[in-house]
Formats: sequence, C-alpha cells, structure tokens
Amino acid sequence: MKLNRRSFIKSAAAGSAIAAAGSIFPGISFANWKEQQDPSGQITWKKAPCRFCGTGCGVLVGVSGDRAVAVKGDPNCSVNKGLCCVKGFHVVQALYGKDRLRTAQVRRGGKMVEVPISEALDIIAAKMKETIKQTGKDSVAMYGSGQWTIPDGYVASKLFKGCIGTNNVEANARLCMASAVTGFMTSFGIDEPMGCYEDIEHADVFVTWGNNMAEMHPVLFSRMLASRKRRKNVQIIDLATRSTRSSQASDRSILFKPNTDLAVANAICYEIIRNDWVDWDFVKKHTTFHKGKTNIGYGTEDHFKFKDAPEDISFEEYKEFLSDYTPEKVEKISGVSALEIKYLASLYGDPSKKCTSFWCMGMNQHVRGTWINNLVYNIHLLTGKISTPGNSPFSLTGQPSACGTVREVGTLTHKLPHGVVMKEEHRKMAAEIWDVPLANIDPKPTYHTVEMFRALDRGDIRFIWIQVTNPMITMPNLNRYRNGALKDDRFIVVSDVYPTPTTDVADVILPAAMWVEQEGMFGNSERRTQHFDRIVPGPGETMSDTWQIIEVARRLGYEKQFPWGEDEYIGKIWEEYRRFHDSPKHNMAPYTVLKKRSGVQWPFVDGKETRWRFNSKYDPACKPGSDFDFYGKKDGKAWIWARPYEPAAESPDEEYDFWLNTGRVIEHWHTGTMTRRVPVLHRAVPESYVEIHPEDAMNLGVTNGEMVKIISRRGEVTMKASINGRGNPPRGMVFVPFFDETYKINEVTLDAFCPISKQPDYKKCAVRLEKA
Amino acid sequence: MMNKRAKISTAVVMGFAAVCLSWTVVSMSAQAAPGVQEGFDWSGEKIYNRYNETPLQAMTGTDGTRTLNTFYERRQYPGSPPTIPHKVAKTFSGDTTKCISCHGRGGYDAELDAYAPVTPHPENENCFQCHVPVTTEKLFVETDWESVSPPKLGRSMMGGSPPPVPHSLQLREDCIACHTGPGAVAEIRVEHGSRGNCRQCHVPQVTTTTFERNN
Ligand code: SF4
Repeated sequence: MKLNRRSFIKSAAAGSAIAAAGSIFPGISFANWKEQQDPSGQITWKKAPCRFCGTGCGVLVGVSGDRAVAVKGDPNCSVNKGLCCVKGFHVVQALYGKDRLRTAQVRRGGKMVEVPISEALDIIAAKMKETIKQTGKDSVAMYGSGQWTIPDGYVASKLFKGCIGTNNVEANARLCMASAVTGFMTSFGIDEPMGCYEDIEHADVFVTWGNNMAEMHPVLFSRMLASRKRRKNVQIIDLATRSTRSSQASDRSILFKPNTDLAVANAICYEIIRNDWVDWDFVKKHTTFHKGKTNIGYGTEDHFKFKDAPEDISFEEYKEFLSDYTPEKVEKISGVSALEIKYLASLYGDPSKKCTSFWCMGMNQHVRGTWINNLVYNIHLLTGKISTPGNSPFSLTGQPSACGTVREVGTLTHKLPHGVVMKEEHRKMAAEIWDVPLANIDPKPTYHTVEMFRALDRGDIRFIWIQVTNPMITMPNLNRYRNGALKDDRFIVVSDVYPTPTTDVADVILPAAMWVEQEGMFGNSERRTQHFDRIVPGPGETMSDTWQIIEVARRLGYEKQFPWGEDEYIGKIWEEYRRFHDSPKHNMAPYTVLKKRSGVQWPFVDGKETRWRFNSKYDPACKPGSDFDFYGKKDGKAWIWARPYEPAAESPDEEYDFWLNTGRVIEHWHTGTMTRRVPVLHRAVPESYVEIHPEDAMNLGVTNGEMVKIISRRGEVTMKASINGRGNPPRGMVFVPFFDETYKINEVTLDAFCPISKQPDYKKCAVRLEKA
Repeated sequence: MMNKRAKISTAVVMGFAAVCLSWTVVSMSAQAAPGVQEGFDWSGEKIYNRYNETPLQAMTGTDGTRTLNTFYERRQYPGSPPTIPHKVAKTFSGDTTKCISCHGRGGYDAELDAYAPVTPHPENENCFQCHVPVTTEKLFVETDWESVSPPKLGRSMMGGSPPPVPHSLQLREDCIACHTGPGAVAEIRVEHGSRGNCRQCHVPQVTTTTFERNN
C-alpha cells in the first residue's frame, strides 16, 4: 500500500501515543537515563563554580538524595548570568563514570593491588622520608594543577616549601599561564588582569589574538555576541593562525603566520605613533620605555638558563626600534596585508572607540610568550586604553583555578603565597604565617615544569607526587618524559579520579574526591574567588587532595603546621592563607562572605570588590589624587617594551614541511579524562583528528576520514584527516586536538619554551605528513 | 509527602489531560444508515466523525514524531540542553542566523519531514555553545549517571484547575515557543496559547512544602 502523507502521519502518531503514555502513567520509564527513586521528589540547588574552564561560570548543582542529578546556570553569578556551555550543563555527569577510582592502589611485583588508603598514605610518607635521606630534599617533588582547589595548592606549598624545605613545587599552569604572569610582571610588576568581564558590555572593538573563544571561552564569547547585537556598532576582529568558529562569527578574520604576531603588534604600534594616535598625557604620566635581551634561545637543552637584563630607553629609541616594523615590512613577515595592519591600528588608535583585546593559549604557549604579552600591553598603553570600562588588555586563563591556586597561592618553584623565595622579606612572612623556621625556606628556585620532568628523567628527582593533572598526555616531547617516569628508582604517586595514562605509570594511586565532593575554592580569570561546599559524598575511599597532603604531612611529623579537623579545615586554611594578601592591593574576602556569594573579586577592600585596578576611580589601592597608578612598579609607571620579532624554535623546512598546531575543542576539557565520560560530550566528539587544508589533503592523496601519519623529529601519530571540518588551517599547517589518549600528539610536539616564562610552545613545531 | 487528597485530585487531572485535547468544533450531521434500527441515538457518532475530520496534526499537535519520549531522550536530566538530532555540516559554526531560520519561528521542513521546534531563547547567538550533534552512540566508558524523573503531567491541585509550571523558567521563559504550534511536543501542547498571559493562571512551583507558621 502506498502511504499517502496523511496516513503516514497518522501511523507515526499512533506509535508515539503509546510512547507518550510513559509521561502520564507513572512507573513506565522512558528517555535514556536511569531514573532515581527519590522519596521527596525534590531537587535542592547548591551553588558552585563550573569544574572546567577559567571562565568560571557559576552553576547550580541539583541534588537529590546524595547524588547530583541536574545543573542550572547560576543566575546570581555575574560571570554567566544563568547561561553555561555544554560542558557546564553536563558537568555533574563527570562524577559518575563507571570506572571512578574508589580505592588506593600500590604497585607490588609489577602489579597494582588495592590497599586501604591509610596504608597507601603510610607508604608515601615512608618513601618520601627515605628519598630525602638518600638523595636530599630536592629529590622529592610535587606537581599540581590549575585545577587544584586553593586549599590543595596552599597545603602543598606549605608542606614542600615551608616544612620539607624544597622549592620543588610546580603546577600544570606553567604550561598554560606562565607567560601571562611574566607578561604582567614585566609590564606592570603585579599579576592578573586589571579589568573584569564587564568590559565586554562596554567595549566597541574586540580583537581576539590567537584565541578561539567560541570554543574555549564560550560563555564570554556569547556575552560578546550579545553585546554586539544589542549595541549595533560593536566589532569583533579575529586575529589567528587558522580559521575557527570564532573567525566565522567575527566581523573580520585576519590570519598571520605562526609567531609573527610579534611583528604585527609592533607594526600596530608603529602606525599608532606615525599617525600620532598616542595618548600623550597618559604616556608621559604613566609609562616608561625599556628594552631587554634579544636572541634569547628556546630552552630545548637540559639545564637551560636565562636571565633578562632590562635597560631604560627613551621614547625616541623606542620609535627608532619600531622603524623595522612598518606595515609594508611586516606584511612580508606575517602575511597580514599592510592595509589590514593599518586598519587594526586605526581601530586601536581611534579615541572614540573602546578596545578590548582577548588572548589565552595562542599568546601564552609561545616561545616568545612574555614578549607578545608585553607588546599587546604596549598597544593599550600607547593609546591609554587600559583600566577603564571597555578598555582592557585581557589575558584570559585556561583552567578553573590557574589564577586562584597557581598564580595567587604561588605554587611555582620561585613563588610563595606572597612574593618570591628569592626575597628575604617574603620568606620571613611565609615562615611566620606557616610557623616554620626561616632557614627552612630555600632562597633558590629549583625546577620549572619542563626541567622538573627532565630532572625526573635524569634521576635528580626520584619521587614525584602528581595531583589533578595528566602529564603523561600533556608534556611536550612526551616520549622522553614518559620513559623517564618509567625508569627504575623513580617513585610516582598519582592522585586522580579516573584511570589515565599518568596513573598507568604510578607506583601509588590515591583515589581523589572530585569537585563538589569536597569543599574548596577556585579563582577564575577576572580575579574572582569562588567557594563551593561539599555537596555530595565521594565514592569509596576517595579523599580530597588537600586532606591527602595533610595526612602525609602529619606522617612526616608536621602535626603542628597541619592541626585542623576534618570538619573545619577549609575555612581555617582560607583564613590562614588570607593573611598573605592583607593589603588593599590584594585583599581577599573572608570565608563567611565567600560561602554566601557566587564568587567575590579581589582586591576586596572594606567590603567592596575592585573591578578595575590601577584606576583611582575604582581601585582604593591607588595613590590618592592620582588618576592612574600602576602600583606594581615602584614609580607607579607601566613599562612599554621594545621586543623584536624572532622566529619559532622549529619552523617547517624541506624535510619537515608542515606546521603542527595543537589545542582543544569545546566539548572536551584538556585530556578528556572527565569530559569523555560525559555521554553527550563523548558522543559529539568521540575521537581526535587532524585538520588539514583541502589542497594539502589533495596533494597528499587523502580524503576526509582517511588516515594520515604525522611525523616529527620526536615521534609520530597516525589519525583520521578532517578536511573542511570545524576548523580550517591554512596551507602548510595541520591542527590536532590533544584530548584523545589514543593519539598522543604530544609525542610529536617540541619541548621548546619561552626563556622568560618557561612555558612550552604547543602551537608550533615542524612535521611531515604521510598517507597511512 | 503527598497527602491522600492531593493524590486523588492528581489522578483525576491525569485522566482529564489524557482525553482533553481540544480542537475546533466542526459541524456534523447524523444520518440514517441502511440496516440500522429506527430511533438509534446517533449522537455517539459525533466523536468518530470529529476524529475523522480533524487532521491528526492538529490533534496531536506534532508531525507525530515529537513526543515527551523523544524530548527526554535528547536530554540528560530535566532541563539539560538537548543534543541536535539531525545532521549539521561539519563546517557549520552553530551561529544563530542559520539555526534560527528554522528554529526561530518553526515550520515544516521537507528534508527532515518534520516541524521544527521553536527555541525559547533566540537571543543566545552561539548555539553550539550548548547544543552539540551526536556523531556516535557508543560511550568511552559506561556511566553510573542517574537523574530524577521528569515532572509528571497533570499536576493541578483540583480537577481542571490550571497546573503549575513544573520546570525552571531560566532560558525557558517563553511558554508559547514550546507549548504551542505544530512543532510542540504533543503531550504539552496547549490550544489556548492565544490567551498570551500564561502566568496569569500557571505559576512556577518552586517548592513542594506547605506553609507553616513559625512564630
Ligand atoms: S564556559 Fe567554561 S566555566 Fe563556563 S560552563 Fe563552559 S566550561 Fe564551564
């Protein structure tokens, strides 16, 4: 029988009417989730920051019984005002992967066996004691994370730097934010953005520098789009090395060749000066000019050392330096036409337009990461477009607490919660608050992250404790560092929530409580500290990372420094930590305030949050009577830097003729250990791929989905080609998302880093391609 | 806990909701058929005539494929952003103009042979921020995820009284978008959308506790 349209509709409807009965007659279950039998039928909502990115959206976690069952965007959180991204809306599902680590495991006879967690903690403490005795305190190390809570990082620093006396504390934020920090320190003398997300509602021009915000900071991106829609005259310019969703949504997409953003930024400044778009009042009162060393290397060799030697220069000398960067010259270096450079300069230079620049990994994972941060600040300083609503050079952060835990607590080898280990007054402060002898705190920094894993490979480090991160996927030049970790005589402790390639190399695995299974705080990109309660219990013997460290510290004999009870420790730790920041430049909100609000910005002075720093209208730390006061520098003046263009550590040549660029996709967070266990996210992007330009694919003879071998001097990976996919690299470049442990793209990448920040460049190395 | 009386009234309303799909009145005439007794009461035929004459679309309110069952199948918990059930080009960036051309006002799409559901939040421009396609059904690792039951229909307190809004209004403030039109989910489609002021009668239920004096 031929079905006419109407009868087709009828029969379909009959089928669906039966299915529909499920909603009307209780007991018939439908839809694809297991329903919870909740006696109360009630969901209670509790606030928390999202677990994933540095945007720091507020979520409301729907709880029923002892399980998290739903999510809403937190309407009280000014970051996202009730809207999340797809990761945030499904964040609670990350708690419930079937293979959650529930018990501690210890390697015995080459096999991992389950043991009570107290036994595992005993073993860790004993191994640390033994290692310190045999090979010294600098042979034990802690490697943490920008996804550590603030208390996690704080107790780690206190134990290692204060009690044990080694500066072997690093965190994966070295791989993501270090250049942002050194950029701030060299330009302003104090870390973290001057502006806040409210800049988005004020700016007329947005320039995204190598920053695919549509996928990586989606909630901020949609805030930007909403602002453009509402106010009509808003422009978004995407300045990048490949075309992405952000390029598609922008008003103008400009592509530059890898590493040449340095030249482009200098050319913009050249044009600003040539056209006299300089805000002279501002520049004369609030800035000074400087230069540093050039030809500074790439750090690919062990024991690489670099120290910059800043020199004062005059404005004339700076202008002279810029003469190498005329738009015409830079067009040749960067591939950006002189016209486009002039256009960009005219936007920044137009005094009637408020300009905000956004950047994240593109500028930070860069062999001249510190420099490019400096150069974008230059643009904003020359035009005086800084520290006022809508005028903002905005360094976004990647991880939910890279700012909170790594930058503010200072979980890097040279840092203390306030200041640096090299300065006696900072060591004194730490020794006093920590109640340890001053002599305990070593004035010499030890290893930054790449060098720490090199030291592990060499055997200078024998014991390493890794928490909340997955370096056996994320270290560049991975083969070397995995082989190092696997050597005899290396003892690896890993605290995590799921099995990963890093737990695969562990000698002890500690099952960690995750996110809202513990109380804690994160700190996001806009200086916002966000508290969350323990909302649901963790499974099995899981324990918060903070408490794991406390347990080990007590076993090492530091009960006095770690005296708190399990029901109060987060509040006590916060109030102790807060003493480090007791000044109008960095005051943190008290525990009771944090508990109540959906995030509080610091400096928190006299009960008020500071939204724009260095501007006396908004920032009480400014000198009275000043309009702007860059108080991070002694004379209150920000630094404009002459920094040249220098090429990447490894550029394509005849043999290795392609650039390899790596990054993320919206669905997956970092190495996917959590997001791949969230059904919606995995089903959307189940595996990684290599994006390749259609013409390059044709030359190679591969079509969409066929296998391509990516080969560098360090390793190779074979994966499916994606042609005209979500993103499109220019000819001569391929792009690979790094989340998929099946295709370890970091076996191919290069461990070159910015000599100032020591942050590796994951965006540029040379590879060749073969059809597999 | 629900008391007994509330349970009874809920049951009544559930039954009511099941049959009460109102449609426009069509004129009907009873006619005598051969072989049927004189004086047979034909008024019982009305319902069958009406059934035959009303297009099913108007009765179910959908093209027959969009029901609460499919609605929840695309979600992980009540209120989560649904996945995209149809193909989208890989290069597509999820920008509103293209999504909105179908999901802004709804309407029939011949290629998918379906009525497009209307979005209640067209002001959000970055659609892929929350809605992602499904490219595989397989999971990376099995999940222990559970969520609560979706709200049951027919929560009126008394037979026939307007039911409260069982879901959060966040991102779903526009009742008309989801509860009217041919793209609407059959079971929650209403015929009195033209009244416009929905919350005149339907109020959000934010708690299930009862009032108690506490002084
Ligand atoms: S934008 Fe970032 S913080 Fe916000 S919901 Fe998405 S992943 Fe979470």
